[in-house]
Amino acid sequence: MLKELLTRLRFFVARKIHREVDEELQFHLEQQIEVNIAAGMTAQEARRQAVIAFGGVERAREECREQRPGYRMETLLQDVRYAIRGFRRNPVFTMTIVVTLMLGIGATTAVFSVVDRILLRSLPYAHADRLVSVGLIAPIMQQEFMLGGSYYDWRDNQTPFEAFTSETGVTPCDLTEEKPARLSCANVEATFLPTLGISPVLGRNFTAEEDRPNAPKVALISYQLWQSHFGRDRNTLNKLVSLDGQPARVIGVLPKDFEMPTLEAADAVVPQALDEAAQRKADPGRVMHAFARLEPEVSMDQARAALHPVFDYSLWLAPPQFRNEVHLQVRSLRDRQVHDVRLVAWVLFGLVVAVLLIACANVTSLLMARGAGRERELAVRSALGASRARLVRQALTESLVLSLAGAVAGCALAELLLHLFIAIAPEGIPFLNKAQIDTRIILFTLLISLLCGTLFCLVPALHKPRAEALAGRIAMATSHAALRQWLVVAQIAASMILLAGGALLFRSFWNLQNQHLGMHTESVVTARILLGQKGYATQERQMEFFQQLERRLRYGPGVSLLAMSDSLPPGGYHHDQIYASIAVAGRPKPTSGTGGLVAWRWVTPDYFRALDIPILQGESFTEEELTSRSHFIVLSKLLAARMSPGQDPIGQRLQLAGGAPDDPWYTVVGVVANVKNGGLAGEDEPEYYRLRRNLPQDWSGTAAIIIKTSLRPEEMSRWIRSQIATLDSTLPVDIEALQQRVNKLADQPRFQTVLVGFFAATGLMLAVIGLYGVISYLVTQRTQEIGVRMALGASRGDILRLVMGKSLRLIAWGTVAGLVAALTASRVLSSLLFRVGPHDPVTFALVTLLLVFVAFVAALIPARSATRVNPTEALRNE
Amino acid sequence: MPPSSDLLQGTLDLLILKTLAIESMHGWGIAQRIQQVSKDALQIGQGSLYPALHRLEYKGWIQADWGASENNRRAKFYSLTRTGQKQLKAELENWDRLTTAIALVLKQVQEG
Repeated sequence: MLKELLTRLRFFVARKIHREVDEELQFHLEQQIEVNIAAGMTAQEARRQAVIAFGGVERAREECREQRPGYRMETLLQDVRYAIRGFRRNPVFTMTIVVTLMLGIGATTAVFSVVDRILLRSLPYAHADRLVSVGLIAPIMQQEFMLGGSYYDWRDNQTPFEAFTSETGVTPCDLTEEKPARLSCANVEATFLPTLGISPVLGRNFTAEEDRPNAPKVALISYQLWQSHFGRDRNTLNKLVSLDGQPARVIGVLPKDFEMPTLEAADAVVPQALDEAAQRKADPGRVMHAFARLEPEVSMDQARAALHPVFDYSLWLAPPQFRNEVHLQVRSLRDRQVHDVRLVAWVLFGLVVAVLLIACANVTSLLMARGAGRERELAVRSALGASRARLVRQALTESLVLSLAGAVAGCALAELLLHLFIAIAPEGIPFLNKAQIDTRIILFTLLISLLCGTLFCLVPALHKPRAEALAGRIAMATSHAALRQWLVVAQIAASMILLAGGALLFRSFWNLQNQHLGMHTESVVTARILLGQKGYATQERQMEFFQQLERRLRYGPGVSLLAMSDSLPPGGYHHDQIYASIAVAGRPKPTSGTGGLVAWRWVTPDYFRALDIPILQGESFTEEELTSRSHFIVLSKLLAARMSPGQDPIGQRLQLAGGAPDDPWYTVVGVVANVKNGGLAGEDEPEYYRLRRNLPQDWSGTAAIIIKTSLRPEEMSRWIRSQIATLDSTLPVDIEALQQRVNKLADQPRFQTVLVGFFAATGLMLAVIGLYGVISYLVTQRTQEIGVRMALGASRGDILRLVMGKSLRLIAWGTVAGLVAALTASRVLSSLLFRVGPHDPVTFALVTLLLVFVAFVAALIPARSATRVNPTEALRNE
Repeated sequence: MPPSSDLLQGTLDLLILKTLAIESMHGWGIAQRIQQVSKDALQIGQGSLYPALHRLEYKGWIQADWGASENNRRAKFYSLTRTGQKQLKAELENWDRLTTAIALVLKQVQEG
């Protein structure tokens, strides 16, 4: 075997000389002549007979050559060289194809990389396909949750799961030792890690005993924390660290790829240490997230059905107003994770498929045009003895070279696009920042391009060269022309869909950005501070810190107003309560339904002035009320109108916590205009404001400082930071101009708009290239016909009409088909749109106009060149 | 007279190897020898002979050397290499197996 290989190698290096073969064949011939002479023929006759018997020398020589090892490789190289020479002769054609493929493949790959991470990645849990998220769906929260009051009943009485566990969220915690750090600690039940199928890489999980309220504290740390903070020291195990000021023993290290099923970042996992007996009795109890592992052979639907008895029991225990608004939810972990990005991901994917189709149609159409143009060349080569297989191989090589060039360029573009996506993407799209072009995606790209390549080339190459083509007249490849025209119609239709989608999202984004928020965000700088447990364990300490900070900041340079609240509109976290638990003095309690949610915030008196929220009735909180023992409240217009329609709400007294006997009474002192509080696109909730008085009970570890300033936001931010640092240099603060915070809320729609806009532009460009290509091809094909017409007296106008008539028909077909498709497809977008309908007539009219105009211009250029055909020259070709 | 292309695939290789096993020979000689031995039943045209010779040479089963022919002309002589000998043995066994098998089938068909 090895020897054979060596022989082959030897011959590969030392090529045989052609002359040797000739000499050998010559010898053969002469031997035959001698035999013939010996048989009694004349010398001349002997030679003649020998040559006849001998047959074609050239073919034998060629076949001998074909036996050479590496012959195939040689022809491949030859084909590649030939292809590249051909491309160099025709750079515009080549560039068009490569750019088209690059755009198509680049966009596909980039988006596939993103979608792959979001929708198709494998979760880092054992048998993740059997993990489900279980809970209640209620208007209070976006995703399912459980309540301590019913969780334990469910856990003990459920049948469809082999394991059932809970966690109570991720909270900030302080690691206080030689290197203090603010961490996030996930509070979980003892069964949490085993249920998910996670085993620590080092140490052990905590036991049920360690998950009791007063058990000695233990913690499992993340691999990253172990690496960054403890230098991957194995002695970290069983070490006592100080967590939130209390000693906790490190009992394990989590695997590298550990993540919470809720995708929250967690540096440590600690026992949630809930008092089970107290929770069972509590109403409603702690809010938790429940996760479960399905028994083998049990489906999600069966599990849901099996859970209904316990669900109904919990519902029966719940306050009556909840019963109609609470539902049971059992869904896969993946569904919970991709919750609101699923639609975006699929829309993206659809867009990309549209662009790829347009690109493929373009390349097919271009290669077909080239194939038709080369019919003569192929006919000549075929006549000179090139076999059909050889011609197909040559054509395949050409399109593979093109595809590979396109794929390489596409990969580069994909890398670029991916960086771009990540840069402009909002936070909260899970895993986008981890998305990268991996090998699978490169393979995917190559596969697509190879498929495109073979497909494209086979259409023209399989077409047998006709003998007439040798004559040099350009034969009308009518069937091809028809196919190409259909491709153009499809392209125009596809770009219509893309354009319509892009325009709708753009209008929606415009509405979102230019809506009235109910407050003024200009020249307002905000600082959010979250005090840790260390040093600020009591409400007294927290109030003291914030009031000290307020005194430092209040009279600083450029500070015209200062207010404090615990949260900031228009998006993000704020307190919520259900409407039904607000009791108005002298009014019967509402009996049915929760009445939805009411937002509320703690604020200081200058809050409304700092944010320019108009006071409609009554007045804002006053300085005197700050020191009062009574409670005061300001309502939003929406809440006031709902609570006391047609009455003056000022002076009304409310109880906020359901009207229990010890529930304090709040006096309404004012009504302010509505402010957006459900995010930019969300529904507004009615809202009330409670006064943060100079009493510790009104304070917590969270506060947002709102400063109206005449200075530039950057200067102000720097100054605020330095002031906070003088009080506590270790405190993490988040300072931002309010305008910036609001802009961030628009990140997600902006991301969608940019992406769809990008695809729409790409699609339109490709479609225009396609249309231009087809029309100019038709014009070249009909040059002689046009020449004849002109010679017979057709005017330039007639020729223009002739060509443009054809183009306009294509454009019209494409636009109509596209409109129908776009009107159907845009319904998918409805939930992404803000204050614009999916069938918005203005948008559709504008898009149609734009498309028709651009397509018209693309067709006009070749049409005008058709009118400049010189009849004498055109006819001379004949 | 069956043309050479009717030869079973690979049979020509076997015939050449077998012919060269006796003595080294030039192309013309090989063709003549096969024709003679087969009593003119097998005529090998140069169109298939030389590609086959080259193929075998590239495979390393035979080797070529320039020498003088009977009438003192420069000719290319082919001879079996050691790999070629082994290959010939293997091919012969193969051939035997194949013909026996075919014969068995044919016989069966006839009897049935």
